[in-house]
Amino acid sequence: MANKKNIVVEINPEIREALVEMGAVDAYKCYQCGKCASVCPWFQVGTYEFLVFRFPLETVLGLIASSEDKDDLAREVDKIYRCVGCEACVDQCPLGVKMPHILRSARRILVDFGSYPENLKSVVQKIRNVGNPLGEPREKRADWAEEIGVKDYSEEMEILYFACCLPSYDTRLKNVAKATAFLLKRAGVSFGILGAKESCCGEAIRRVGAESVYQETARSNIGNFKESGVKKVLVSSPHCYVTFQKEYPDLGGEFDAVHSTEFFWKCIEQGKILPKKSFGKKVVYHDPCTLGRQSGIYDAPRNILGSIPDLELLEVEDFSRNLSLCCGAGSGALWIDWPKGERMADIRIKQLVDTGADVIAVACPYCLQMFEETVKAMNLNVQVMDVSEILFESLGEDEVR
Amino acid sequence: MANILAVVEHRQGAVRDITYELLTFGRKLAEKTDGKLTGVLLGHNVDNLTDNLKKHVHRLIVADHDVFKDFNGDVYQQALADIIKKENPFLTLIGNTAFGIDFCPSLATHLGVPFTTDCIDAEIADSGIRVTRQLYDGKMDTHMKLSESPSYMLTMRSGTCPAEEGNLSAEMQKIESPITTQPSYKKFIEYIEAAVGDVDITKADVLVGVGRGIKEQANLSMVEDFAKAIGGVVACSRPIVDANWLPKDRQVGSSGKTVKPKLYIAVGISGAFQHIAGMKNADTIIAINKDSNAPIFNEADYGIVDDLFKVLPALKSKIMELKK
Amino acid sequence: MDLIVCIKRVPQTAEAEVRVDSSGKDIVKDRLTFDMNEADTYALEAAILLKEKFGGTITAISLGVADAEDTLRIALAKGADSAVRIKAEDFGELDGFKTAALLKEVIKDIKFDAIFTGCMATDDSYYQVGPVLAEMLGVPHATLVSKVEVSEEKVRVNRELEGGLIEHLEMSLPAVFAVQTGINEPRYASLIAIRRAAGKEIKILGKEDIPVETKTNSTLEELFVPPVGKRAEILTGSADEVAARTAGIIKEKGLI
Ligand SMILES: Cc1cc2nc3c(=O)[nH]c(=O)nc-3n(C[C@H](O)[C@H](O)[C@H](O)COP(=O)(O)OP(=O)(O)OC[C@H]3O[C@@H](n4cnc5c(N)ncnc54)[C@H](O)[C@@H]3O)c2cc1C
Ligand code: SF4
Ligand code: SF4
Repeated sequence: MANKKNIVVEINPEIREALVEMGAVDAYKCYQCGKCASVCPWFQVGTYEFLVFRFPLETVLGLIASSEDKDDLAREVDKIYRCVGCEACVDQCPLGVKMPHILRSARRILVDFGSYPENLKSVVQKIRNVGNPLGEPREKRADWAEEIGVKDYSEEMEILYFACCLPSYDTRLKNVAKATAFLLKRAGVSFGILGAKESCCGEAIRRVGAESVYQETARSNIGNFKESGVKKVLVSSPHCYVTFQKEYPDLGGEFDAVHSTEFFWKCIEQGKILPKKSFGKKVVYHDPCTLGRQSGIYDAPRNILGSIPDLELLEVEDFSRNLSLCCGAGSGALWIDWPKGERMADIRIKQLVDTGADVIAVACPYCLQMFEETVKAMNLNVQVMDVSEILFESLGEDEVR
Repeated sequence: MANILAVVEHRQGAVRDITYELLTFGRKLAEKTDGKLTGVLLGHNVDNLTDNLKKHVHRLIVADHDVFKDFNGDVYQQALADIIKKENPFLTLIGNTAFGIDFCPSLATHLGVPFTTDCIDAEIADSGIRVTRQLYDGKMDTHMKLSESPSYMLTMRSGTCPAEEGNLSAEMQKIESPITTQPSYKKFIEYIEAAVGDVDITKADVLVGVGRGIKEQANLSMVEDFAKAIGGVVACSRPIVDANWLPKDRQVGSSGKTVKPKLYIAVGISGAFQHIAGMKNADTIIAINKDSNAPIFNEADYGIVDDLFKVLPALKSKIMELKK
Repeated sequence: MDLIVCIKRVPQTAEAEVRVDSSGKDIVKDRLTFDMNEADTYALEAAILLKEKFGGTITAISLGVADAEDTLRIALAKGADSAVRIKAEDFGELDGFKTAALLKEVIKDIKFDAIFTGCMATDDSYYQVGPVLAEMLGVPHATLVSKVEVSEEKVRVNRELEGGLIEHLEMSLPAVFAVQTGINEPRYASLIAIRRAAGKEIKILGKEDIPVETKTNSTLEELFVPPVGKRAEILTGSADEVAARTAGIIKEKGLI
């Protein structure tokens, strides 16, 4: 036997209780069929063994991240942080086991003891300190909007546009925020932003396990939204979407969140936006896990792309809609550097490029960031664009870019 | 009248730069109050070092003994305790270096003299001492007053008082070494050179120094590419070595190499003083950092406040153009 | 071997905005995260490695306010056997010297073979606690330690000097080692160890337990943002423009 010391295991009910208390209740449901492991993106990556179905059992036995050996333990903690929360497993599990919640319960305990990867610590620090994971100053959060004359939100406006941290600061991703703002203007919607008053939605750090910083950050947003009289929030990121929609209500924040693809499709249907300029390219749409599987929004982005003249919409065979493969950035993974050869984005990009597309369309800033970097690293001749950017181009204006 | 004593730091036959900074600083401070600066040189066969030192002090005390051949903090502590008791200076100055840190705090404690460490400035105020120190990664400065006493001790950070040419001619006073053997509980064995790899950053004309700002090991290749384009060599700050992304011999700074290239491009380096200590003498320094308040901009000749991931590729292509 | 590790909880300011508070003597801390001082994490790991090899106990001691107990629990979870907090709130203004004096009052009653501290704390940047503590306890010390290797007849200690040089010493125990960062790989704490640590008692000592007069060497008068030095000429514009100017400057200097 290769791994003798694992034969005799000491079952630890105390850890089981602690994990269950932190939200790992689903562990009891699992009957070890192994389906989850076969749909997990790590199975596609193939170079890293990630036997997902073991986690429920290890939870029930109280064995997660419990090696006494320093190096083994480092590998176990690394493993716990490999789950990108894509929910491919949740989608396919016959019993609906929420695997990311099981892992998050362990993460929460680790985070409380500073026992988690340094890169993630720094992200949590920056969000607490300046309200964004990049460590950029708060005052600069609205810089992108000033450049194009977007107003501050006030009560009589219909919509608060919450651009997400990456599009607020990152030079490439600012383009998404700008395209969205132009589209809103074009549709005649009254909207504004909260700029320096808003903080990261907190989705990623909550999934990293930093529950208390998440709650503090979320409460500060909820307070500011309420104070400003916000009712409806338009988001570019599906991560902000699920957080506002499903998680803020637990903290007393009831806002009506809408993702930009849903909103703009409605605008097109209502004739408020008219895509008229020919796009002339083949576009493959990548379903972001958090927008598709986790929010059930599959058609709005496709409808938008389908309404654009001379745009050929492609699909990744077998890995589309709820079977889409994660870009690898969720649950804090955007800030973890896995060894070369073990990166999900490499696999996914290959699937997307193999369709023969000229453009990869996404509807999530994380996917955009991930794919832009991967395309650069792999030296590929393909463009990565957000659906909002493509839609904006089809209006026939060129203020953006 | 404030008489000041400064401890000469030397290693492997050479006086270290910090010494002349200390002596310049100490002399100015002493002269303000018509006091005198006394240098203390503990060493073995160090006659060749004294000529230059004499130009910087009013008096030079030399104890020559083979117990001082190499550095042992404990030996220094015992010898200096004896000398300071006899000399009774108002202020003793020591470098805030691996040398000074190893004996100043314990020596001052032993003598019951108020002291503090890592000062970037000091003045004589209200017959006491007020110092300036840096806190919180160099993001804050503080003024501190030392508790009243007839005598004080400070360690001074290197690079805070530029050394000037000396024009004094001190009298030299040779003394018996107050100590003759290393203590049994702490013995110097040897100096070990950190392993040297294939590149020697101290010999390069152009260095591209990378810091924690590059985020991931994978991004190093981008910097390597850039360095190649500009005909330079990649050096780094300490966190990069700590992470095992580059070998120790690429580290610039007080605990790494001191470099003096024609051009130093600091990429994603904040400019901690330990790093600055190793590269401030470069002919031209260009810093790329997205934080406009990063201390590196206080050292650099040219600053670029932007994301290095945007600037480096752009700069690389411009340089390639110019090369053609 | 019986080992002691001195640990400090410090605000993480490397990537944070730091501002002076209304007292003018402290920074605004409400938006900062706190963690174990970086060098202390290496000190703790160095002690754990020795304990793994030779057996014995580790006592972690921190002078700090109540939150320091969280940091001590991390030490307990990683491998310390017991923990002591000295109530900082009972002792007024502190500096490196007074911190060492208070630590000494606690440590003098504990049997130990070696004490590990970080070489300095990132908040106040003193390099004092280790060597002063050693002097007060009457044991030898080494600072900026990059290696402690214990064998039967001797203890080999490396110190990190400037210029990539290492000073190799032989020392005897008991001794104090103020360790440099980056000398080992600090470990994670396992869930089992975390659970165990959560239930452990942390001994808390206050003024009444340490009834001696301890004094600082210095008094903080004010905090202020450092004045800007010789500022660089900042090149502005788009990445491309800036790159073009920079390339021009490099060319002017004859470097390409
Ligand atoms: C005794 C002792 C000796 C030491 N000796 C040395 C030594 O010899 N050499 C040394 O270097 N250090 C040394 N140090 C460590 C030193 O104190 C600092 O911790 C270290 O220099 C910081 O390295 P850094 O600038 O790379 O990292 P950080 O201080 O973390 O700075 C990173 C910088 O990158 C910038 N940045 C981040 N992302 C980007 C981006 N996308 N684009 C542009 N900029 C970005 C940030 O704004 C920040 O300023 C020593 C410390 C001690 C205690
Ligand atoms: S698919 Fe569900 S039931 Fe099957 S092993 Fe995975 S978690 Fe358990
Ligand atoms: S959420 Fe995604 S990454 Fe995590 S275990 Fe499930 S399938 Fe794997």
